Amino acid sequence: MSAITATGLQKTYGDGDKRVEAVRGVDLDVERGEIFGFLGPNGAGKSTTVRMLTTLMTITAGRALVGGIDVTADPHGARRKIGVALQEAGLDLRQTGREILTLQARLFGMNPATAKGRAAELLELVELDDAADRRVKGYSGGMKRRLDLASALVHEPDVLFLDEPTTGLDPASRITVWDEVRRINQLGTTVFLTTQYLEEADQLCNRLAIIDDGRIIREGTPSSLKRELRDRTGSDADPTLDDVFLDATGRTREKLAGEVKEVR
Amino acid sequence: MTAIARSDDTVSRRDAPANGLVKDSMILGGRAVREALRTPDSLLPTMFIPLFFLVVNVGQAARIFPSSDTPFLEGQSYGAFQLPASLLLSASFGAAALYLVEEIEGGYFDKLRAAPISRMALVLGRLYAEFLKTAVVATVMVGLALAFGIRIASGVAGFVVLLVLVSAWAMVFSGFMQLIALKSRSAAATQGASMVFFPLLFLTPNFVPRDQLTRPMEIAATINPVTYVMEACRSLILHGFDGAALGKGFAVVAVAMALMLTLSVRMVNGYD
Ligand SMILES: Nc1ncnc2c1ncn2[C@@H]1O[C@H](COP(=O)(O)OP(=O)(O)OP(=O)(O)O)[C@@H](O)[C@H]1O
Ligand SMILES: [Mg+2]
Repeated sequence: MSAITATGLQKTYGDGDKRVEAVRGVDLDVERGEIFGFLGPNGAGKSTTVRMLTTLMTITAGRALVGGIDVTADPHGARRKIGVALQEAGLDLRQTGREILTLQARLFGMNPATAKGRAAELLELVELDDAADRRVKGYSGGMKRRLDLASALVHEPDVLFLDEPTTGLDPASRITVWDEVRRINQLGTTVFLTTQYLEEADQLCNRLAIIDDGRIIREGTPSSLKRELRDRTGSDADPTLDDVFLDATGRTREKLAGEVKEVR
Repeated sequence: MTAIARSDDTVSRRDAPANGLVKDSMILGGRAVREALRTPDSLLPTMFIPLFFLVVNVGQAARIFPSSDTPFLEGQSYGAFQLPASLLLSASFGAAALYLVEEIEGGYFDKLRAAPISRMALVLGRLYAEFLKTAVVATVMVGLALAFGIRIASGVAGFVVLLVLVSAWAMVFSGFMQLIALKSRSAAATQGASMVFFPLLFLTPNFVPRDQLTRPMEIAATINPVTYVMEACRSLILHGFDGAALGKGFAVVAVAMALMLTLSVRMVNGYD
């Protein structure tokens, strides 16, 4: 059974003049145990797809199964299998890191003692033990991201969704997150991650899809995508994932550089 | 970082049974209480503004309504007649809705929505805290009133009923405000909406009994559901246990609560 299956997934925001077709028929098939990368330029529809797959947003058309459960028909069942860290870390600034994780664990059905233990374990995991009892309001951006990641892990989800998990992190923190994603994955969790960093996708992902303007335009393993580009263009040099991305989205290198700057 | 340890209680984590509505609401309610305790300055106006009105209104009108020859006071001072209006005012600030807007803007609401908890618990959590907050504030206000010679005619049991009624009203009022917060997702719109609900508190027999109002006001007050909550509170303070008045008051709260919860759950389910 696949970890994630989506067929003809569509999302249209608003209507009339404000109508935006953010996702226009996305098909996905992510195997259990994979780290699947979801790449695309700004506004391509990555976050919208993640929100639909994680029951946070209604689906305009199409169908999605996560962990074998239809997210529209049984959102409750799906939520038990899903862990999610959205693009904007969603945290309660008035609580402490420990309180947030304990609360999260309680909401997933753990008793107070188990929840407390789980929170302590995760705080250590993301190296926030020192700041655990401080209010989140005083955390740095990187600390908030790590706490958000930890809160997505409380119930050891089958499928973990990470929407741009390393955006805004310093290089060292980024590598720590990569290591952690690999470890989580080795323990059996399927990871679906969106990213702006092609190197990240190259390093981490078994397979990836490139989405542009609401449609998937490339899909495969990093090496198969590079090979396909080399064969098609007949170039001698080995293409990088950057080249694949630029080729797929029809963008020039300069344009991409400008956009990446705009993100952060 | 160390790897995730899958210890012996892995099973109790992954396959922990769902909590159910009441437990989830209490867990979220506990958090909302913590939040209120950490922002005590938001609690003060809910106490002092109604007390201010109580003092000012009584100060202005007490001489017109001396307890000796004002039958509707049933032997008490005019302050006793005014107390329910102040209690309901303190229950009608809807602070929960503003916290909810913050939570939506900050993204934490999405985190809670992604948890496998009943959608109604998402709504009820804060309202549970609102109930407790209002009960505490109302207790303090009634305590002050007692110190100034006001008596609760229905006794200690009546006082408890009064607290339940006022606090349940706070849940209803805050619930409707939360609904607006969910719809608008904006603090300004939510605050503006409270200006729409607020007049309902004043289209009531809050200065004199309903039968002594001018005709247009009497009609307005009779249509206004808040009137019956106020009259129920008043009966407990001035008169004792009045089954008819209490019945109407609690019926209004129950119907409004059911309506508010139905609309809220529908809103959360279709929330994008
Ligand atoms: N709530 C919304 N209402 C209307 N349009 C929206 C909404 N959210 C997203 N959009 C639009 O949908 C499209 C896809 O947005 P989405 O956030 O999914 O892109 P993304 O790939 O995650 O981009 P980024 O890399 O910038 O995060 C964009 O055109 C965006 O403007
Ligand atoms: Mg995005």
